[in-house]
Amino acid sequence: MKRLTLFLVVLLGAYLVWTTQDLPDWGDPASPANSYLSTHYIKKAYEETSVPNLVTAVLADYRGYDTMFETVVVFCAGLAVLTILRRTKRKHKKNVKFRPQREGVDIILQNAARLMIAPMQLFALYVIAHGHHSPGGGFQGGVILGASFILLALAYDLKSTLRRFKENTVLFYSGLGVLIYAGIGVISLVLGGNFLAYAAWGGLLGISEVEAHSYGMLGVEIGVAFTVMAIMFSLYLDLASGGDLDEGL
Amino acid sequence: MMSAQAPILILLIPLLCGLAITLVAQKSKNLAFFLILIGMIGSFSAACSTLIQVLQGSAPIHYRLGGWPPPFGIELVIDHLNAMVLFIVSGSALLTAVYSRNTVIVEIPDRVHHYYTLYALLVSGLLGMVATGDAFNLYVLLEISALSSYALLARGRGLAYLSTFKYIIIGTIGASFYLLGVGYLYIKTGTLNMADLSQMLASPDMKESVSIKTGFVLIIIGVWVKMGFFPLHGWLPNCYSRASTTTSCLIAPLMTKVSIYVMIRLMFSVFSVDYVFNTLQFQQAVVWMACIAIVAGSISALAQQDLKRMLCYIVLAEVGYMVGGVWLMNSNGFAGAVYHIMSDVMMTLCLFMAVGAVIYKTGDSSLESMRGIFRKMPVTATAFLIGGFSIIGIPPTCGFFSKWYLITGAVETGQYHFMIALLFSSLVNAVLFFRIIEIGFFNRFDDSGHGIHQKFEFSEAPVMMLAPMLICAASLLVIGLYTSFILRNIVQWTIPAGL
Repeated sequence: MKRLTLFLVVLLGAYLVWTTQDLPDWGDPASPANSYLSTHYIKKAYEETSVPNLVTAVLADYRGYDTMFETVVVFCAGLAVLTILRRTKRKHKKNVKFRPQREGVDIILQNAARLMIAPMQLFALYVIAHGHHSPGGGFQGGVILGASFILLALAYDLKSTLRRFKENTVLFYSGLGVLIYAGIGVISLVLGGNFLAYAAWGGLLGISEVEAHSYGMLGVEIGVAFTVMAIMFSLYLDLASGGDLDEGL
Repeated sequence: MMSAQAPILILLIPLLCGLAITLVAQKSKNLAFFLILIGMIGSFSAACSTLIQVLQGSAPIHYRLGGWPPPFGIELVIDHLNAMVLFIVSGSALLTAVYSRNTVIVEIPDRVHHYYTLYALLVSGLLGMVATGDAFNLYVLLEISALSSYALLARGRGLAYLSTFKYIIIGTIGASFYLLGVGYLYIKTGTLNMADLSQMLASPDMKESVSIKTGFVLIIIGVWVKMGFFPLHGWLPNCYSRASTTTSCLIAPLMTKVSIYVMIRLMFSVFSVDYVFNTLQFQQAVVWMACIAIVAGSISALAQQDLKRMLCYIVLAEVGYMVGGVWLMNSNGFAGAVYHIMSDVMMTLCLFMAVGAVIYKTGDSSLESMRGIFRKMPVTATAFLIGGFSIIGIPPTCGFFSKWYLITGAVETGQYHFMIALLFSSLVNAVLFFRIIEIGFFNRFDDSGHGIHQKFEFSEAPVMMLAPMLICAASLLVIGLYTSFILRNIVQWTIPAGL
């Protein structure tokens, strides 16, 4: 059976390789993917959204609806891990035999972490705020922010980190992030535009409609960053402790 | 003004309510229930408003997200087909939400608010899949509905974790197939908007392109995995039968039907009748596969000793009905399949709710738990009976009419094997349900044979469970009685040109 499966997989793989002859050449400027919609984005995106980073313009504005649901996917994944791992309190000891135990206090690690965490978080804020001008944005900045909390938990321990950043707060931020994103969409809807039509914000903020797109994108990037940060940390909490938050690294 | 925004509100209201539950309802189970109810009511009323708009106007509704014109932005496109599916999906999600009042607290006592958040996310994911007019956006929403369903299914009974893990693997492979297929379409056309894609794919050299054909096959296989079509169904029975009552009421009727909708949408709105049936030559093979799905599903259902597993295999057979109906290449068959989406959601929901009530009361889901059911729980038994009649296809329940159209389609195209499979399945279903009726109605005596009269106290499920169940059962009759109205006003419009 295993041989048969392997044979079928190889056959299918060979077929897929064979179909590539029908596809346009690698990096062909005349290929449909490079010449149809992308041309419009490259020519018009700055004019229409006043955002110099085209990737962000496509991601957070033209296809902002997709990105909102990508954020929901992140949120949903965190919630799924939490719901599955954090069942009711276990009565007997878990059968994880070789769980790493922390012995003593590592001064070098702790001091290094102490030095690093604040610059990391500051850098993350830059990455978030500069998403629509240069590479970066909510997802990347959120990951750096999340990593800073994970570093704290790794260098110290889970319990003391949880005292600073409670589990309920983590969950609150993860929901809040999506809510900021969707809320910006809903407010544009209330202001008379369509859902996620940032142009509708222009009147409220006293800026031109094109400029409103830029601010709208900044807003949703902040929302994304909240969710990604919180879910990164929440995933670490649940996975590192096997779901009960009282032991583990 | 609100009615113009109705298409987005259908999925936005459950999403926002789901988030609100995470944010504010951590302490109070009642608040969580209240919020989910608000979300589902809002979604259902928006879906009603959209359906009315579609029925009044003749052109599909286009809703531009972010105000960007397609194909640059994403749009929602609502025509008769998805207005109907949106209506039925949001309606059954509302009924299940009401029903869940008693069951969730028993089954997932520690995480009611997270359960309801995932519930809301699942519903908005499914509704989004149905509403969208963009092939990639469909994938994103497919991921949301899949992820939330994994979490909901894993909190089930017995080995639910294991079967959900298998589902995660297989479901992810299915989703990857879909994504890979969309990738092929994108690399050849440079667009993701469904209407735009279909225009480009109509050109003759696209029709001959090997990579487009590969893309089509990959997409269809991906969707088949998601709906549990016959050779790809292995994950479904274990997963759905071990799920908690509310989860199976929510997921079992909706996931498969939404996947069928996605298949129809991609076959006829992205590709075309001509492409699917004339350029590609495997229409006959798919109808045969559907026949095997129906026969295998029915026979496996007959072999089950557990009510929920039995229902799961019936769901598999029903998937065969709809796939077969769509691939018959006949307008009556297609109409039967579309009509069956609607009726099948309601009949599986009705049966799962009835079985859920039995489990709630007896804690057991074997056939034996139906003993004396007509005396103990007469209302539940009636709902179960109507649902069963509809599955068998006894008029005037809606199951009869969908089978009628499917069989007409099979006869018109001369594909008698599909007709035989349908009739065989009706026969097996009749055996199945009359066996249960026998246990429930006559088998009131003890097995020992001494004729000791076992007492069956009247102990009916709570009203919050009975009311949605009865609405479901009544809707089976209503849909059946209004068949000609539904066909004339909705289903007729969904038949693609050239069929």
